[in-house]
Amino acid sequence: MQDVLSVVSLGSIYLLFALGMSLTWGTIDILNFSHGSIFMFSTFTAYLILGSTTLPLLVVIAIGVVVGALMSLVVQVLAFEQIIKRARNKRSAEMQILIGGIGVAIIPLAIAQHHTKSNPFGLGASSFEVTTWVVGDLRITNIVSLTILVAVALWGVTALWLRRSRNGLALRAIGIDAEVASMMGVDRRRLALVTMAISGGLAGLAGVLFTFSLGAITPESGDTLLVKAFACIILGGVGSMAGVAFGAYFLAACEVWVLTQTSGSWVEAVSFGLIFLVLLVRPAGVFGRKEVRRT
Amino acid sequence: MTWYDANLVLIQGTVTGLLLALSVQVPLRMGVFSFAGAGAYGIGSYGGAILVLDYEMAALPTLLLTTVGGAVVVLVLGLMIFRLNGLYLAMATVAFDLIISVVAINGGELTGGSTGRFGVITDFTMAQMFTIAGAALILVAMSELGRTGRRVNTVREDPELAASMGIRVRRYRLAAFFVSGALGACAGCLNILVRSTVSPLDIGFPLIVLALTMIIVGGSLSWKGAVIGAIIFTWLPDVLAVIGEWQELIYGIIVAIAAVLLPRGIYGMYVDGKRAVLRWRRRRSGATADVLAAEEERESDDPPPRVGELTPSEMGAQG
Repeated sequence: MQDVLSVVSLGSIYLLFALGMSLTWGTIDILNFSHGSIFMFSTFTAYLILGSTTLPLLVVIAIGVVVGALMSLVVQVLAFEQIIKRARNKRSAEMQILIGGIGVAIIPLAIAQHHTKSNPFGLGASSFEVTTWVVGDLRITNIVSLTILVAVALWGVTALWLRRSRNGLALRAIGIDAEVASMMGVDRRRLALVTMAISGGLAGLAGVLFTFSLGAITPESGDTLLVKAFACIILGGVGSMAGVAFGAYFLAACEVWVLTQTSGSWVEAVSFGLIFLVLLVRPAGVFGRKEVRRT
Repeated sequence: MTWYDANLVLIQGTVTGLLLALSVQVPLRMGVFSFAGAGAYGIGSYGGAILVLDYEMAALPTLLLTTVGGAVVVLVLGLMIFRLNGLYLAMATVAFDLIISVVAINGGELTGGSTGRFGVITDFTMAQMFTIAGAALILVAMSELGRTGRRVNTVREDPELAASMGIRVRRYRLAAFFVSGALGACAGCLNILVRSTVSPLDIGFPLIVLALTMIIVGGSLSWKGAVIGAIIFTWLPDVLAVIGEWQELIYGIIVAIAAVLLPRGIYGMYVDGKRAVLRWRRRRSGATADVLAAEEERESDDPPPRVGELTPSEMGAQG
C-alpha cells in the first residue's frame, strides 16, 4: 500500500509539472524547454525571500505561482513571440522555439547555480511544519496529501476550462488551425499570453510543493523533470488532458516499480526508455488522435 | 610555440568540440533534427577507454573501431526512428543520449560507474589528431559543394520536391544518421585519447546543449558555422574568466540572444551582410551588375532568392 501511495504522490508532482507544458504544447504549439528553469527559479525566489522573513505556506505558494507566471510571460514576449515573428514556416518555428527555450533556460540556471554553488536549497525557513499522519499501516505527510489534492483539482479545472469555457474553445481552435481561429475573431496573442502565464504559474506551484515534500532541490532539478514531463505528455498523447494524467501516473508507477526491484540507479532510464518505446510503437500516444495538420 | 603549449588543452577541446558540433549539424543540414551525435560521443569515449584499458589496443585501431561502432549504432537507431518527424525525432534522440549516460552509470566495472574510466594513456600524437579532424572537416565541407550540396539542400527544404526529382530522400536521411554517429564517436574517442578520462557527467544533457549551442551561435547551415561555434564556446569560458564570477550568466545571455535573434548564427549573419553590401553596390553601379551577381551567387550558401523578393529597381538594374 505504501508503494501505491508513493506512486500517487510522485505522479501528482509529475502531473502538476507536465500539465503546464502540455497546455502550451497542445494548444499554442509551444514546447517550452525553459519550463524546468521556471519551475526551479520560482522556488529559488521563494527561498531567497524566506531568507529574510518567515512566511506561512499559502504566501510561499503564492510567491511561487506569481514568479512562475511572470517569468513565463517574459519568456513568451521576449523569446517565443520574436521567434514566431521571424520564422519562415511552422516547422522551423517549432524547432527554434525548442532551441530558444533551451537557450533562455541557461540564464536562471546560471543565477541560481552561482548563488547556491550548485548545492541543494529548501524552503525550511517558512512557518509551515511538515507533519506525518499514520492511517493504519500508511504514513502520509500533510504536504503530500495537499500536493495530491491540488494536482488532481487543478487538472480537473484545466480540463473543464479547455472543454467548456469560451476561451478554452478558442484555445483548442488555435491548436487545430491557428489561421482559421484568428479569422473567427480569436485574439491569438492575448490567449497565448494567458496560456503561458497559467503554464508558468503551474510550474511555480509544482516547484514549491515539490520542494516542500522533498525537503530540498538542486538548481539542476528542472532539467530532469523536463525530460520526464515530456515522457508523460507523449505517453498520453499531445494535447490530451486525460493523456497527460495517465502519463504522469503511469510513469510514476513504472519508476516506483523499478525502484523497488533494482538498486535504484536505473530509475532515470525508465522515462527515457518509455519515450523511446512510445515514439516507436504509437507516436500519437495512448489517448492521442491523429494529428490535424494542414499546410 | 609557448602559446601553443599553454593553450594545448583548449586547442584539443576546440577540435573535439568541432567534430561534436558537426555530428549534430550534418543531420540538421538534411532536415533531420537529431542529437544522436552526442550519444555517439559517449559511445566513442567509453568504447575508446574500454578498448585501450581492457584490451590494450593501440590508439589508431581504437579510433577506427569506435568510429565505425558509433556510426553503426546510430544508423540502427536511425532505421528505428526515421519515420518520426521534427520535435518527436529530436526527443527520441535525446532519450537515446540519456539512456547511454544511464548505461554508463550502471555499467559496473566496464564503465567504472559514476567515477568513469581514467588513465587512458596511448602513443596518440597531436599531429594525428589534427590530421584526422582535418580529414573529417574536409569531407563534411565537400558535401556542401556542387551537386551533393544542392541535393542536401533540397532534401532539407522540400523533401517532396527532392523525391520527385529522383533524390532518394530516405537514403540521404539514413546517411545523415551514419555520418553523425561516425563524427560523434570520433570526437568522443579523440577526447578520451587526449584527455585520458571520461565520466558519466561528461556525456549527459549539458553535452547536448553544448553541441546545439555551438551550431546555433556559429551558424547551422555551413561547416564554417560549426568552426566558429566550436572556437567561441571552447574559448569563451577562458575569456570570460577575466570578468569573474558572472561568466555563466553572460554565457547564458549570449546563447539566448543568438537562439532568438540570430537563428542562422554568426556565419548566417555574415552571409546576409555580405549579400546586402553586394546588393547596395550593385544598385549604385549598374555596369558591374553581372559580375557582382555572379559573385553573390557563388558566396551564398542558401537557396537562390525567389523572384518575388526582387524589387522593381533591382530588376531594372539587372536588365
